[in-house]
Amino acid sequence: MLAPINISMESLNVMTLAPMLIPVVGALLILVIDVIKGGLHKSLYVVLSLLFLAMDFFSLLDASEIFTQNGTVLGMFDVMLIDGLALLAQFIIVIASMLFIPLALTNKRFHEFSYPEFFALFLFMIAGFQFMVATDNLILIFVGLETASLALYTLIAMHNRDKSFEAAVKYFTMGALAAGFFSFGAMVFYALTGSVEINKIALVLAANGYADIGYVLVGVSFMLAAFAFKLSLIPFHTWAPDVYEGSSAPMAGYMSIVPKIAAFVVAMRFFEFLVHSGIIWLDIVLYAFVIITMTVANMWALVQTDVKRMLAYSSISHAGFVMAAILIGTTQANSALFLYWVLFTFTNLGSFTMLWISRQKSLPEHQMSDHSYDKFAGMIKTAPVPAMIMGLFMLSLAGIPPFALFWGKIYLISSAVTSGYTILALIMALNSAIAGYYYLKLIVYMFMKEPVVGANGHIYVANATLALKTIIGIAAVGTIFAFVAINPLLEFITAFVYNSGY
Amino acid sequence: MLDHILSLLIFFPALAAVFGFMIQKESMRAYGVAVSAIEFALALWLWYVFDGNVSGMQFMESLPLVPSFGINYILGVDGISLFIVILAAFFTMIGIASLTDTPNVKYMIITLLFLQMTMVGVFVALDAIVFYIFWELSLVPMLYIIGAWGGPLRIYASVKFFLYTFTGSLVMLVGMLFMAYFYYQATGVWSFAILDWYRLILPESFQLWLFAAFFIGFAIKVPMFPFHTWLPYAHGQAPTIGSVILAAILLKMGTYAFIRFSLPMFPDASAFFMVPIAIIAIIMIVYTAMVAYAQKDVKQVVAYSSISHMGVIILGTFALNVEGISGSIFLMIAHGVVSGALFLLVGVIYDRRHTKMMSEFGGLAQVMPRYATIFGLMLMASVGMPLTINFVGEFLSLLGFYQQSHILTLLAGTAIIVGAIYMLAAYKKMFFGEVTKEENKNLKDVNKREWVALLPLGIITIWLGIYPKPVLEPINNSVKSIVQLMHNKATTELGKERIPDLVKPKVVIIEKTIIEEVH
Repeated sequence: MLAPINISMESLNVMTLAPMLIPVVGALLILVIDVIKGGLHKSLYVVLSLLFLAMDFFSLLDASEIFTQNGTVLGMFDVMLIDGLALLAQFIIVIASMLFIPLALTNKRFHEFSYPEFFALFLFMIAGFQFMVATDNLILIFVGLETASLALYTLIAMHNRDKSFEAAVKYFTMGALAAGFFSFGAMVFYALTGSVEINKIALVLAANGYADIGYVLVGVSFMLAAFAFKLSLIPFHTWAPDVYEGSSAPMAGYMSIVPKIAAFVVAMRFFEFLVHSGIIWLDIVLYAFVIITMTVANMWALVQTDVKRMLAYSSISHAGFVMAAILIGTTQANSALFLYWVLFTFTNLGSFTMLWISRQKSLPEHQMSDHSYDKFAGMIKTAPVPAMIMGLFMLSLAGIPPFALFWGKIYLISSAVTSGYTILALIMALNSAIAGYYYLKLIVYMFMKEPVVGANGHIYVANATLALKTIIGIAAVGTIFAFVAINPLLEFITAFVYNSGY
Repeated sequence: MLDHILSLLIFFPALAAVFGFMIQKESMRAYGVAVSAIEFALALWLWYVFDGNVSGMQFMESLPLVPSFGINYILGVDGISLFIVILAAFFTMIGIASLTDTPNVKYMIITLLFLQMTMVGVFVALDAIVFYIFWELSLVPMLYIIGAWGGPLRIYASVKFFLYTFTGSLVMLVGMLFMAYFYYQATGVWSFAILDWYRLILPESFQLWLFAAFFIGFAIKVPMFPFHTWLPYAHGQAPTIGSVILAAILLKMGTYAFIRFSLPMFPDASAFFMVPIAIIAIIMIVYTAMVAYAQKDVKQVVAYSSISHMGVIILGTFALNVEGISGSIFLMIAHGVVSGALFLLVGVIYDRRHTKMMSEFGGLAQVMPRYATIFGLMLMASVGMPLTINFVGEFLSLLGFYQQSHILTLLAGTAIIVGAIYMLAAYKKMFFGEVTKEENKNLKDVNKREWVALLPLGIITIWLGIYPKPVLEPINNSVKSIVQLMHNKATTELGKERIPDLVKPKVVIIEKTIIEEVH
């Protein structure tokens, strides 16, 4: 007879679950409302989602207070983990989602937003990402990852254009493959160490001195491939540009920010001990991933004729850039990753939203794609304010000071410098210079060419509503006045990262 | 008020530019002139309250920006930057005053005012990151000026300009991060403050690498051979005002940065690289002078002559002694005035004929005598005639370098003769002989608006050529302290040898035998 298990509620530490449960409850509520009374306007669901995300945000604030007082908190049979990385990532996820969801309130009617399920799935997805970052248990990471990914595939497909189905299916197939890699890698580590918790895996591997190095490398290879899919590192990036192109602009922007920070945090947890274990092979492979991703994605971005595809490739390049932080693996580098991503969130959200407000319901005849460069030609003459704002985001993405991303860039390059990665620092600098060209290309089109499309400038704001303008305003203010916030942000992030032992 | 005069100098034009959006098109030019005149008055006031006997930084301001990473908003001005700031304010004013009816003159003036903010910012920033911010930010308005108002190849020219300088400065940024890191290693605190960095004595091997990283950034901006290829395009395609600002101020950022960063921070490396850089400078002087001679477009002649003179400035800077460096700073100002004036003059004729080809002109002296006179004066200054402003700077620069190497100075000196040749040849083609073209017979001479721009330049050219003391003395004081700092910091034999010690009294030893012989 098995003895009955006694669990005290205190040891469960249920509050560690609170931040994830809030969006889940919100999603269920939205579904229930739809069942009771269908056909409600999308604004209701947008506001409901916002409210639940706000609650989520406040519960995160509570959790971070507990973290600063007591340090890392474990809960739910030590599966849930509240530490600095988890909190920082969740802050980014929740804030980016709060900025994203009002983009549904467009002028034109895009039918994906008329489904309440869209918003329910959206909240489920956020919960999935939150689970993924708030644990070091490989199984829960997998569950979180798949919850979020499945929701995301559906959200893309809801966009309901020819290319959206293609994109969703492509993303799904690739994602399924990545999931397979992930579970295989996890299996190998479980076989080696008898645990699925990253910190225990690290302990066991270190204790026996990485005896089965061959198996470790096999496991690492599979894990690396899985993360490379999620982070769209070259050569596992092939889905990214097509998926970005197939999904709506805000969705693409969202995909370039939120899933990646979740994957970065997991990668940080997973590779942290491996990078410091002295496995030279891993260093070389990561180094190659970082450099190839940065450089090759930049080259592809150079030749794009569509702004959205250009931004997609540039996001890949940024991901490679930030992956360098995981390779370097110092506290400064890990803090730089979060700082970079916060700043990137504002800038990228801004630039994709700019694409979103210029979105037409159907393409005019002379326009090849939704966001071709030609469309933006001469924008300064027909729509000066949007042109200047778009130019601002491009300058920030290119890393021109004093705009937001510049600060992330110098802090990240500085972390490479301080840990002796001189060549890497130079390559990062030169890549920024290459990237300068394609961001500049859009500026050149907007400010120096003659208008081709839409002489009255209306097309650039065709989709704009107050909600969208507010989001762009927030992004623009965040981009211009980033320098005010850098110091508190840096101190906050560094304290959190340092106190979590990374 | 005096505590924040430098911030005021930086942000007044920017604020005015923002308000400029609200001004009506018709009154924009008046607004621009007024704002830039106020700015110039502020700059002159700065000169008035500036204590020329003090060698260090004055009117320093400091605000924490990202203190945990050692980035602070620090400003200050010394004899080296003072006159370049005044020059920047002056040329923005002259430039706006001389603006002709370009399309969208409103946006042009707003852009110029933003550009002025970045220019002043570069020259008064005492924190490397703040310096870098203004340095990079200056690319944006300039990109727009060339790209929106330039000639047919404007987009190519502006993008080339942007990418060249952008790439160079990113390498420089890595150098800056290394400097801050070395400072952190030495003291345990992060700092990007330039004056903090001055105190850091680095081993020679570090200096060489860092010098190279900074050098790329500065050399592209100057532009030094072989990084100069963007400049003829930029000048060729830029509107008159763009060329004027580019030649008068923007190029000075590079040479100024050499004096502000490279020399005092890496004295050993500066001494080490002295000869190679001098050779590049001489190539710049000779080669571009020859290229200038081959040009058919008068603006390209001025553009290449501009590169040639920048070579003399570099040569003076890397003389590493007080005469050379003071001379090069003075020549920066002189070159600003003279080449700025020459570009304005080319603009005058371009406005009338919409061509810059020298073959289209000839005998202009008969049609436009006043124009020919002022052009002649500026041309004389440009070739370094005594009693003009350029002569003082060129003479001092060469004198300074003469103490380091006689032969190289001689080579550089001959190039000045080549300079006279191409300039006089160009002048001959344009102004002497018969008026051959029908269109040239009725050209109007210099009008009132153009006089407003050109006359002050002419006066300065002669005034400072005859009496350079008020400008030269504050420069000299600051340069002395920098040279002394370099000497004290130099760790290698070569450094100690090439950088003079100013404290040690110079004793003139007359050999006894000579005196006896006289008796």
